[in-house]
Amino acid sequence: MTPQSFKKTGLALLVLTALALPLILRSPTYLHILIMLYLYAYMTTTWNLVGGFAGVLPLGHSVFVGIGAYTSTVLWLQWGISPWIGMLVGGCLAGFVAYLIGKPTLKMRGAYFALATMAFVEGVRVIVENVDQLGPFKLNGPRGLNIPPLPAGEGSLLAFQFATKEPYYYIILFMLMGVVYLTWRLSRSKLGYSLSAGGEEPEAAEALGVNVAKCKVTAMVLSAFLTALAGTFLAQMTLFIYPKSVLTLDLSFELAFIALIGGRGSLAGPIIGALMLRPVTEFSRIYLSATLPGMHLILLGVILIVVMLYQPRGLSEPLTRLFNRLQDRICSTKTGGAK
Amino acid sequence: MDLIFLLQDVINGILMGSIYGLVALGLTLVFGVLKIINFAHGSFLMVGMYVAYWIVAYTGLHPYLALFLVAPIMYFFGYQMQQWLIRPIFVAERDVREPITVIIVTTGVWYVLDNLALLLFGPDYRALSPNPLKGEMIEIGEILISTPKLFGFIITVLTAAGLYWFLLKTRMGRAIRATSLDRDAASLMGISQWKIFNVAFGIGTAIAGIAAVVLVPVYNVYPTVGVPFDVKSFVIVVLGGLGSIPGALLGGVIIGLIESIGPNFMTSTWTEAIVYGLFLLVLFFKPSGLFGQKYDW
Amino acid sequence: MSLLELRNISMDFGGLRAIDSLSLSIDEGQILGLIGPNGAGKSTAFNCVAGVYRPTSGEIWFDGANITGAKPWDLCRAGLARTFQIVKPFASKTVLYNVMVGAFARTDKTDEAEAIALDILKSLHLDHKKDFKSGALTIADRKRLEIARAMATKPKLLLLDEVMAGLRPTEVDEMIDVFRTVRDSGVTIFVIEHIMRAIMALSDELVVIQFGRKISEGKPEAVAKDENVIKAYLGDEYVAS
Repeated sequence: MTPQSFKKTGLALLVLTALALPLILRSPTYLHILIMLYLYAYMTTTWNLVGGFAGVLPLGHSVFVGIGAYTSTVLWLQWGISPWIGMLVGGCLAGFVAYLIGKPTLKMRGAYFALATMAFVEGVRVIVENVDQLGPFKLNGPRGLNIPPLPAGEGSLLAFQFATKEPYYYIILFMLMGVVYLTWRLSRSKLGYSLSAGGEEPEAAEALGVNVAKCKVTAMVLSAFLTALAGTFLAQMTLFIYPKSVLTLDLSFELAFIALIGGRGSLAGPIIGALMLRPVTEFSRIYLSATLPGMHLILLGVILIVVMLYQPRGLSEPLTRLFNRLQDRICSTKTGGAK
Repeated sequence: MDLIFLLQDVINGILMGSIYGLVALGLTLVFGVLKIINFAHGSFLMVGMYVAYWIVAYTGLHPYLALFLVAPIMYFFGYQMQQWLIRPIFVAERDVREPITVIIVTTGVWYVLDNLALLLFGPDYRALSPNPLKGEMIEIGEILISTPKLFGFIITVLTAAGLYWFLLKTRMGRAIRATSLDRDAASLMGISQWKIFNVAFGIGTAIAGIAAVVLVPVYNVYPTVGVPFDVKSFVIVVLGGLGSIPGALLGGVIIGLIESIGPNFMTSTWTEAIVYGLFLLVLFFKPSGLFGQKYDW
Repeated sequence: MSLLELRNISMDFGGLRAIDSLSLSIDEGQILGLIGPNGAGKSTAFNCVAGVYRPTSGEIWFDGANITGAKPWDLCRAGLARTFQIVKPFASKTVLYNVMVGAFARTDKTDEAEAIALDILKSLHLDHKKDFKSGALTIADRKRLEIARAMATKPKLLLLDEVMAGLRPTEVDEMIDVFRTVRDSGVTIFVIEHIMRAIMALSDELVVIQFGRKISEGKPEAVAKDENVIKAYLGDEYVAS
């Protein structure tokens, strides 16, 4: 077996397992946890386009989640436009907003960009919490928006609502696979090379013909577009959105935490990070929140600090090494057997 | 609107704003030297407030006398925090220009500290008792000035002056300034970069401690009390210029004025939105802030 | 026809005049050396050409176009590549990755960029280290990588900023070979050096500046005998009277 085919087999097995899981795992609770895990892996992967490859620290990605969630929901509630179309509209709107924030701030050093994106979320949240009606759009202030559920047992693809968890599971799984594939393609493209180079040594990259600021803005717009799609998904999953659920700093920080713990700038990092953190968050929320409030946030912080102290590049690096060793062993024993 | 009320609001804004400036002072000092934003700064303020609260509650000391205990305790706390937590990550990330990992780790510290406080002390709001300053006012004509806030203003001015004196006149202060200008060159001159980082972090935290003492008589203590101050401090330091001491104070006063005058014209939540709007305007049009040097960062 | 021409450029920093109406021109295929004692304004002149600073006055022409104040990335696409005195490799990436970033200046396709990069690495004898992390290279190899990266952008003119600095004598000789390879591939070279030895041997033409002003120019042998130059480097007392 060659290393190439070993990797391909591994990947195929992984995808097949993910596809087959709902057939084995019948409990909606576990499915829900998996769906949230994929959703966070998805959002972190899109975050990673800016935070990982472009080498800056965006702390305001929840604003794009919020734009996605609110756009599709408002369009559905007020005009009956299918959330699938709303999803795309939200994505474009998020991309446009990202351009507006990114253009002036991405020229600056990381600290400023981090603060600007952070302040932007806070500003947007404060505004949304204070308006019931923004022009023709009903936002309902801090009370948020309820999507009336379809009659029990009914599902509709057009309405992006399903009676069981399985369709949600497959939608987010395909979204995740798509965005991982896109990132993989991007990392091997001119834009990917330019982003990494510009993130590491901006002057050197510029001297090599890279317009660093422009590349970063491009990545930011792309990332915002993709992140907003997750917002629509989240809205359709929970059928209830309010400013503190989708426009919070906590969500922005959690994405950054997952990315750093998994491995910033690596393809597998966001998935590894989500696999690590989501169960911790979900289970401590379920079992500990009554007795030990805020425990899951302490765990999150401690895990982050410990990982950063011992594996500053995240967990994907030692895991890749482990995988390579495994690959070497299996591949060499197979060829050894052939002799 | 009555002019006297406006004047009252202006004075109130300046006094409260100077306290915001004091909180931001510690943040800007740490940024100036380490070039990182300490997201846990607000949590340090929270820790300081609990320390001050417990000291006063158990010893019955006058709140301002607690300063002489709180500031050293917080200095020690910050110094050790940098030594054992921030430094190892700094070392690991030395080749990287933007210390993103360090910034995120300070966020982790924020999460841990705030929620640890929640776990240990519960979500209750605690007000200082005995509180000899409660509701104390000075009357000048028709204008009422809150005594503890006036003291806060005075302590802020003294702290800023003291910090200036320290940075300009003492050996350690000069070493700190040299490191903030060019840490490699300073290292070559025999200044231990890590020692300076520890001290700067310690002083920044001690300033948060001073601010905590100032705030305790007028503010409730609760686990997330640092968060609004944290976010406000970020706005203030960017407004004034990251790393600038006068910028932090002036930025604080500007925010304080907006918050005290604004509610006369709109609901107070909208004044909050104005603060963020102003912040973004500064970022877009004068990113170096009012006092920051353009190439310093 | 001259490929690069500086027409009376001056550069002020606050009240300090770092360059004072400097003019020079480089013909195609030439190696031109710009030398001068510490603080003479070499790096400032270099940075004006490379688009880091915009000169206070004067014009810079490259390949028939006015490039005064153009951005670094536009200059690179126009065919003007540079190296940095303090090398700036993309340290976490491999040597090949580094060079490919440069190659992308001429192509949008990844496999083409890889082919260009491999070619360049081969011609500069770095191909056996293509999979090394660039942060792990020796200083000499990093400087070589710096040149390889710049060459991958297919420049007409290569600006070299003190590439000899910090090299051991044997490494300097290797670097001279690199220069020759570059020139033989048809690239014009504008080199700034503090050390005279190598540059004397290599340059077709030398320009000497001091206090931002040109004090001598011509063939290396002629410049070496110029009284002004000797004064500038060694002081008045060394001038044979």
